[in-house]
Amino acid sequence: MKKEVFESPIGESYVKAVHPSGLKIYIMEKSQYSSAYAIFGTKYGSIDTCFSLNDGQAVSVPEGIAHFLEHKLFESEDGDAFTRYAKTGASANAFTSFDRTCYLFSCSDKFYDNLEILLDFVQSPYFTDQTVQKEQGIIGQEIRMYDDSPAWRVMFNMLSSMYHNHPVKIDIAGTVESIGEIDAELLYKCYNTFYNPANMFVCIAGNVDTERILKQINDSIKAKDPVSIERCLVDEPKNIVSDYVEQKLEVAMPMFCLGFKQKIDTPLRRLKSKVCMSLLLEIICGDSSPLYAQLVRGGYINDEFSAEYFNGYGYAAVIFEGESKDPKFVAEKIKQEISRIKETGIDKKLFSAVKCGMYGDAIRRFNNVDGIAMQLVECAMCDYDLFEEIKLLKTVTADDVYKRLDVFDNENAVLSVINPKES
Amino acid sequence: MSVKMTKLSDGASGMFIQSLRFNTTLISFNFYLPLKRENVAVNALLPFVLTTCGEKYPDFSRLNYKLNKLYGARLSASAEKIGDFQLLKMAISVIDDKYTLDNEQLTQQACELLQSLLFEPKLADGAFHDSDVEREKRKAIEHIRGELSEKRIYAKNRMIEEMFSDEDYGVSKCGTEEDVQKITGESLYDAWRNLLAHAYIHVNVISRNLPSGLFETLSEKLSSINRSYITDFSAVRPTKAATEVKTVTERMDVAQGKLVMGFSSDICGEGERATSLMVMADIFGGGPYSRLFSNVREKMSLCYYCAATSVRIKGLVVVESGVEAQNAQKARNEILNQLEIMKNGDFTDFEFESSIKGITDSLKSSNDSQETIDIWYSVKMCSGRLYSPEDVIQELSCVTRENVIKAAQGIKLNTEYLLLPKEENK
Repeated sequence: MKKEVFESPIGESYVKAVHPSGLKIYIMEKSQYSSAYAIFGTKYGSIDTCFSLNDGQAVSVPEGIAHFLEHKLFESEDGDAFTRYAKTGASANAFTSFDRTCYLFSCSDKFYDNLEILLDFVQSPYFTDQTVQKEQGIIGQEIRMYDDSPAWRVMFNMLSSMYHNHPVKIDIAGTVESIGEIDAELLYKCYNTFYNPANMFVCIAGNVDTERILKQINDSIKAKDPVSIERCLVDEPKNIVSDYVEQKLEVAMPMFCLGFKQKIDTPLRRLKSKVCMSLLLEIICGDSSPLYAQLVRGGYINDEFSAEYFNGYGYAAVIFEGESKDPKFVAEKIKQEISRIKETGIDKKLFSAVKCGMYGDAIRRFNNVDGIAMQLVECAMCDYDLFEEIKLLKTVTADDVYKRLDVFDNENAVLSVINPKES
Repeated sequence: MSVKMTKLSDGASGMFIQSLRFNTTLISFNFYLPLKRENVAVNALLPFVLTTCGEKYPDFSRLNYKLNKLYGARLSASAEKIGDFQLLKMAISVIDDKYTLDNEQLTQQACELLQSLLFEPKLADGAFHDSDVEREKRKAIEHIRGELSEKRIYAKNRMIEEMFSDEDYGVSKCGTEEDVQKITGESLYDAWRNLLAHAYIHVNVISRNLPSGLFETLSEKLSSINRSYITDFSAVRPTKAATEVKTVTERMDVAQGKLVMGFSSDICGEGERATSLMVMADIFGGGPYSRLFSNVREKMSLCYYCAATSVRIKGLVVVESGVEAQNAQKARNEILNQLEIMKNGDFTDFEFESSIKGITDSLKSSNDSQETIDIWYSVKMCSGRLYSPEDVIQELSCVTRENVIKAAQGIKLNTEYLLLPKEENK
């Protein structure tokens, strides 16, 4: 197996290995810890609704199928994975997001037994129409739960108004109707496409032995013919669908989500863009910024307020969200502040403070094994070095950050609001 | 990891939890007061006002700027309801000095900052400033109102409110909106004086090294205050068994219904019996091996979540579920049926063993997170004895099936709360 060791100036190190099947493996040993955290994942999420295989024929599958598959993979012919984990005491879970599906466990005992369970069940699909039907009830309730979640709705309403065609606008779990179209055959089709080791990764952090893990993975990865997956290129216009969307729900106070759609020419963003954007967002509206002070003093935002750079394969946007008595006012103030910074430049003192803060945050992230494993997943997904961010934070300049202001185009901004129902 | 307790003054203790695994130092100041309906709100607001400004940092922007310069030190505040006590927390977490780029003394500065915020608040004429009080009041009210947005949390709080309507425990951890409205700069000042004079104070430090002089300085400062009538941790009121079940149904414009059931337990506090209650609640509705998960969710396909938790310090067990309105009764009956199975001892050895293994494994990892360690010891203070995760693991190894059955038999339904969609949405 091809193996590479990455060292950092802060005393941490990790190993990246590539199995002959193409499976990427990332391991960070933390021998002082009692527990370990392992993730077996695939680059397959809710946005992968249209793809073509080696034969070149495009296949469209129902919305929400990646998430559905995640639920079903826990079952095998002779019982489910949870029952197996119950014998070891591990705590197991899984999640599906826009671009990935991850199966994970954390444990402080019997790590290698747990790893065996993880590697085995993710590689052993068992779907029947009967078990698929049972899951439709459970996931149906999960979807209904999200229908009542204003935080979820405000975000997806915004995405639906931002994207014309890109599947990022679709709810991760799909709809009660779309999951009704799923059957065992479709699940196998998706499984056989995306659960190929060449499209997958294993990320582990904690009190573990790297060599032993590599041997165990080597022994248990089932050889498969490599697939070449072509994600259908979505024809996504650069403009938005609509600049305002509103829904009424049982909330006490309006919630908002303001998104700026970024015009992109390549599907993925580089780490430097992400770091610069995070710094920029701190300068625009972080808790030491003038805008934050103004909005808090005026009673327009509270501790729920946040900003993020939202991006993945073929989509990128900057999102501000929170609760406010007047979302339109907050949206206007954010736009004004961006224009002001465009004109006057970046406040150097503030830049140096937020850079220092982010540097500390990057160090702090090595404190928890679960957090480290999640960061390793990010590395596997985007092909980064885990320590790259710390290095970048030492060299990034205010000019680098200033350039990212180009992303903000008021013509391509969407405001999504959830208003209280009138009683 | 090693744990060392130090007496700081009467009713005040410091605990140094030495751990080599973290690259940060966490210091938390914990204040314990008896939970009283009339002053929950004003007490709960205190840590939030104290951590947003102070005499040396008169506005939150300057304070936040300082935190950034301390390499993103995190200052946090919380107000929790732990059984019959109110736990108010202010904490700071900072990366170790060795990671700084210019050899800055971060830990020392962080210690001084936290102490200065507690002992030297921004005051004028014996009161907190109106602008600071009003700002935090608004945020607190918005937080209270915001609970409505997350129906699972809202439903659980409503059940507790109904179940303990005639007790202080029925009040929500931040108090009511009306009580927050009534807070003034003066009343908050009185609450601060009361906190320093009467709260039991416990300081946790989780780090590689104990910051030099921290406990000594705290000890001096606390000794200069006339501290008396310190919170008595033995004043606990266990949940009463109901003579008849209280049922409350509320309707709202929601897609999914929520069912929350509150049970009294005849076990309250810490110790071997409480550990049996923890195992009983876990087999009943904890992990994926539990009766509620495998029956109500997996076999009957009625819900996405159906879970039981025990609040041992209050002798309370809560079951929560999200269900379709037409299935609510079916889910309720099955939850009670599963409880009967627990009482009759008809759970399997596999379920019993899985639960012991699952809880043990997760307790063993508690020492891998500074936040978990901090919460663990600050909460355990309320039970009078400082149980470590290892103590509970030891007790778990002694729990038998019979202990679990006995714990189940002491459970009695008290209150059922149902949040249902409005009739026209059915």
